[in-house]
Amino acid sequence: MTRLIVNGAEQVVAAPPEARLSTVLRDGLGLTGTKIGCDAGDCGACTVLVDGAQVCACLVPLGQAEGARVQTVEGLAADPMGAALQHAFQAHGAAQCGYCTPGMLMAAMEVLQASPRPAEAQVMAALGGVLCRCTGYRKIVTAVMEAHRFLDAPAAPLPEAGQAVGARMGRADGWPKLDGREAYGADAAPADALWLRPVRSPHAHARFTLGDTAPLLARHPGLERVLAAADVPGRNGYGIYPDIKDQAVFAEGLVRYRGDVVCALVGTREAVEAVRVEELPLDWEVLPPLAEPGAALAEGAPALHERWPDNVLTTGRVRRGDAAAALAASVHVAEGRWQTSFVEHAYVEPEAGWARRVGDRIEVFASTQAPYMDLEEVAGVLGLPHAAVRIVPTACGGGFGGKLDVAVQPMLAIAAWLLRRSVRATWSRSESMASSTKRHPARIEARAGCDAEGRLTALEFEGIYDTGAYASWGPTVAGRVPAHSTGPYRVPHVRSRARAVLTNNPPSGAFRGFGVPQAAIAQEALWDRLADAAGIDRLEFRLINALRAGDATATGQVIAASAGLPACLEALRPRWAALREEAAAENAAGGPLRHGVGIACMWYGIGNTGMSNPSTMRITLEPGGRLAFHNGAVDIGQGSTTVLLQIAADALGLPASAFALVLGDTDLTADAGKTSASRQTFVSGRAAMEAGLALRDAILLRANAGPEGRLALSDGMLTVDGRPLHLEAPLEGLGRFDPPTVPLDADGQGVPYATYGFAAQIAALAVDTELGTIRLKRIVAAHDVGRAINPLLVEGQIEGGIAQGIGLALMEEYLPGRTENLHDYLIPTVGDVPAIESILIEDPEPLGPYGAKGIGEPALVPTAPAIFSAIRDATGAEINRIPALPHRVLEAIRRKEGAG
Amino acid sequence: MNRFDYIRPGTVAEAVSAAAVPGSAYLAAGTNLLDLMKIGVARPERLVDLNYLPGLDAIEALPDGGVRIGARVRNADLAQDPGFRRRFPAVAEALLSGASGQLRNMATVGGNLLQRTRCPYFQDTASACNRRAPGSGCDARGGENRLHAVLGWSEACIATHPSDFCVPLVALGAVVEIAGPAGPREVPLADFHLLPGATPERESVLAPGELVTALRLPAEAAGFAAHARYVKLRERTSYAFAVVSAAAALRIEDGRIAAARLALGGVAAKPWRAEAAEAALVGAAPDAAAFQQAAEIALAEARPSGDNAFKIELARRIARRALRLAAAGTPERLPALPASPFAPLSGGLHG
Repeated sequence: MTRLIVNGAEQVVAAPPEARLSTVLRDGLGLTGTKIGCDAGDCGACTVLVDGAQVCACLVPLGQAEGARVQTVEGLAADPMGAALQHAFQAHGAAQCGYCTPGMLMAAMEVLQASPRPAEAQVMAALGGVLCRCTGYRKIVTAVMEAHRFLDAPAAPLPEAGQAVGARMGRADGWPKLDGREAYGADAAPADALWLRPVRSPHAHARFTLGDTAPLLARHPGLERVLAAADVPGRNGYGIYPDIKDQAVFAEGLVRYRGDVVCALVGTREAVEAVRVEELPLDWEVLPPLAEPGAALAEGAPALHERWPDNVLTTGRVRRGDAAAALAASVHVAEGRWQTSFVEHAYVEPEAGWARRVGDRIEVFASTQAPYMDLEEVAGVLGLPHAAVRIVPTACGGGFGGKLDVAVQPMLAIAAWLLRRSVRATWSRSESMASSTKRHPARIEARAGCDAEGRLTALEFEGIYDTGAYASWGPTVAGRVPAHSTGPYRVPHVRSRARAVLTNNPPSGAFRGFGVPQAAIAQEALWDRLADAAGIDRLEFRLINALRAGDATATGQVIAASAGLPACLEALRPRWAALREEAAAENAAGGPLRHGVGIACMWYGIGNTGMSNPSTMRITLEPGGRLAFHNGAVDIGQGSTTVLLQIAADALGLPASAFALVLGDTDLTADAGKTSASRQTFVSGRAAMEAGLALRDAILLRANAGPEGRLALSDGMLTVDGRPLHLEAPLEGLGRFDPPTVPLDADGQGVPYATYGFAAQIAALAVDTELGTIRLKRIVAAHDVGRAINPLLVEGQIEGGIAQGIGLALMEEYLPGRTENLHDYLIPTVGDVPAIESILIEDPEPLGPYGAKGIGEPALVPTAPAIFSAIRDATGAEINRIPALPHRVLEAIRRKEGAG
Repeated sequence: MNRFDYIRPGTVAEAVSAAAVPGSAYLAAGTNLLDLMKIGVARPERLVDLNYLPGLDAIEALPDGGVRIGARVRNADLAQDPGFRRRFPAVAEALLSGASGQLRNMATVGGNLLQRTRCPYFQDTASACNRRAPGSGCDARGGENRLHAVLGWSEACIATHPSDFCVPLVALGAVVEIAGPAGPREVPLADFHLLPGATPERESVLAPGELVTALRLPAEAAGFAAHARYVKLRERTSYAFAVVSAAAALRIEDGRIAAARLALGGVAAKPWRAEAAEAALVGAAPDAAAFQQAAEIALAEARPSGDNAFKIELARRIARRALRLAAAGTPERLPALPASPFAPLSGGLHG
């Protein structure tokens, strides 16, 4: 028995002294507000205070906490400063997915207890051990520094009716993320659920046989079942595309990457954890892997899958004009080669969930970005009709594209279906990293030209994207990249090709930008060099070539409206000049530190590429006055729950606070499509607006009121222009929107997207030319979002996207088998993100709700190229192997000096 | 995690006798050991918990001007101790540049010395590793070895020691106090860790059952307080292991270097003291030429163990940078980002 004081109350715990404090808090005391991100002290999500000092609860053996005072997020509100900190987080938008939030709050409390008004450096030092993948940290730092202001201040009021759109409203789903109540995939399974533990291939390519598992089951009481391919009731395959179900739930004698699932152990937690992999009756025949696309494309290379004999999964193309001839005739030509690395999503919440069989239906509760896609996959592997499947998304602790593919869902469904028991699973961090999809490593060759006045003439672009062992979202990437290969510029002659190539690497899938961030690195490097060659300022060069309303793109689409890139560049111009002056002054002093300023632009098509991607939203008003917003769009931290509510509220004419929210559950909400492609604000937002307007029309009709009728709802009574409206039956507003597109033809001609986000970012930095290190000083980001429905959340997306762009540019390099943890795989910490200034440009999109477009992916795309532009400005060095780790920066400097 | 016995001794003597049983491991904060047990790299049969041993948690000023640091003193407590920080600023800077606030609040001085390597092949039980499984081979040779050793490595093992703390300690002549079945003994830190040779599984001179009880810094180490720095090159701002690092300490008298200390981190299986380079600095003016020469000498024996030739030049440069910063003077307050090459400094990098 161990005695602890937890949040002021004495607890006596019966657990062995080596039990982890995190486990004791979560499983023993039910305090699931303390989150597990890595279980290794690398992420800080489980940070609690022990006798006032922040520690990782996952590394504290219970025996060492004997008699200690333990403070967790659940006790925060009882402390005045803790409550103030929660209010500060809510007001500043400091929580997005919320998974790191309890750890951040507790780490912040350590410094706030000592210094109620801490300096920025103190806050940075206190938060240095908690990783956040969503926010870019800046709003967290601000919230901690400003917490003292919320000691006595009342909470900010919610916007009035008709005032929601444009308001810096705090998250509608914010508070559960701040007090530990939010239930993620690992937080809410029934106590008697069995555990499922997959057994994965340690080899990138191998044949195997699984022998008789009966002796294993006999040896481990509590181990109920070993599931393998033969146990799959339906189709043993899943995949994003309806005609490509190439990834087996349980491999059938052949594994294609380190991470493929061979079988799964189901039983009590103790039993499944006690099994050592060596005990399994597995015989391996290890085969040579195709380790990179060059090997996979080589003549005579074996095919990973029969249906793709040349290992080319998909080829995307755009051809317009005659690029070769136009390049030959260009006054200035620039060319180059770039290579990027695997990038891991590193959402702080590992994949988790649980499933149960309810009669002849299956219910799956899991962390996901795409409940209706999960529904189809679960139905497929169980061989059940769609109506027999219910998906209930739990809170999602970050996705960024990585939770668009199923993970725990099919396996849990099979286990729960066959065993007729609740079954749960949580991937370990290393399992999550080994098995989940990655950003495609890209090898890009590109050439571009311009005339003497700096007008772009032509672009040739060839991209080879390592798509790994299975299709996943590879076809989407190969399709999207050529359509974006010119960047947001007028380029009359284009020849562009991107191929997704299969290898024995982890599947590359969807990751914030679908291959476009890699392509942007190449494009923007070319523009810098062409600008220099033409003797034109790098910002002005981009402004000369920027797409404007009325221009045609390389796919032949005429951009009708909402093309705000020129406005972004003009907004940046004064900062550009000031930062360049500053850098020049600093460089005048000489020394090994060289200062530079870079710029890059981006465009991003919102929604699926040349494909239908509808969303349906529903708002109901019951006779008792219950107003419910049925919203199937999954909020993975980006803020759609809040933004769609703001849109629906203003469309209907009632305040956001009047709505009950019904979220995600496929039994209760319509298909909103997946949370990807920056589409929820634009597509589901428009559907929410239509739903609000439809319900409003129904109400006004029934009340016999005019279009300007004023609605009010209080104490269950709806009034229109002050007159009560009695309902006998519920009213419903249904809204559906599918952005109009035209599929791309063989030359990539068509209308791939109904609208585009535009942006330009400036990076200011210093390069230590002796050591090869980069210190970011400032990033200024101008984004045309059409309309900022919620500027606070838009800034949050921009800052978070920039942080991921910094990681892509400077540190993130996933090596299969070698960096499957968060201390060898580095993502930005609080100190890696500089001050960020966001400038919101609102060039309204006529199709969007109140003019809005999207921001999720656009935020990330220009950051890495802007950083490389700044390194080029500072040193003349060309970064073409990415990330720009110190040794690569030094090599690039040497190369440049060697070239004279 | 494997199953094991758990023992909580009340005295050092009890601990030593408990740990004399084969298969035992000492547990201090457990920040490293528990993680290694989870991933199956360490499989002790019994854990001897040191957390309730009295007398190992003090920072003690010694009559001769030195300091004794109990093995259970937490990294954060040592780094924040005003007296210690003033007299041994490079040690405090190294401590604060390591790991994260959470880990520094837990991790102990003794445990820091005994950290295991971060070599990914050591950490992956499916890989060959002579350090983890003697005789199994070394998958790091010919594997991903960008961050591996350039000094003192052998064909059997090219791993590095990950500690920041040990780098200034070895530069300043720290001594390790050890208790064991055969009684107490002392070993200079410079001799404490072993180079891999043919037996990389032997990482230190500790015999089975021996326990680090304290570290001592001699009085003369405080003589460098005015010119002592630790500089660490890492691939992100905080919470990252060193690619290369250096501790430099100088005593400058009448514009000449009267005494010099230089050690490198991230380059070998032990914190690497560069005595020949120190000797070359004595009597020289603290200028770029002298630092350049010292850095050349420090890395004279270096050779790549794989795809890491760049580390040799980087190590020279970090040594030069540390010497230059030390010569410029220890800052009155530690920079906000301890050990960062970018931290603002008196004397400036621009000049």
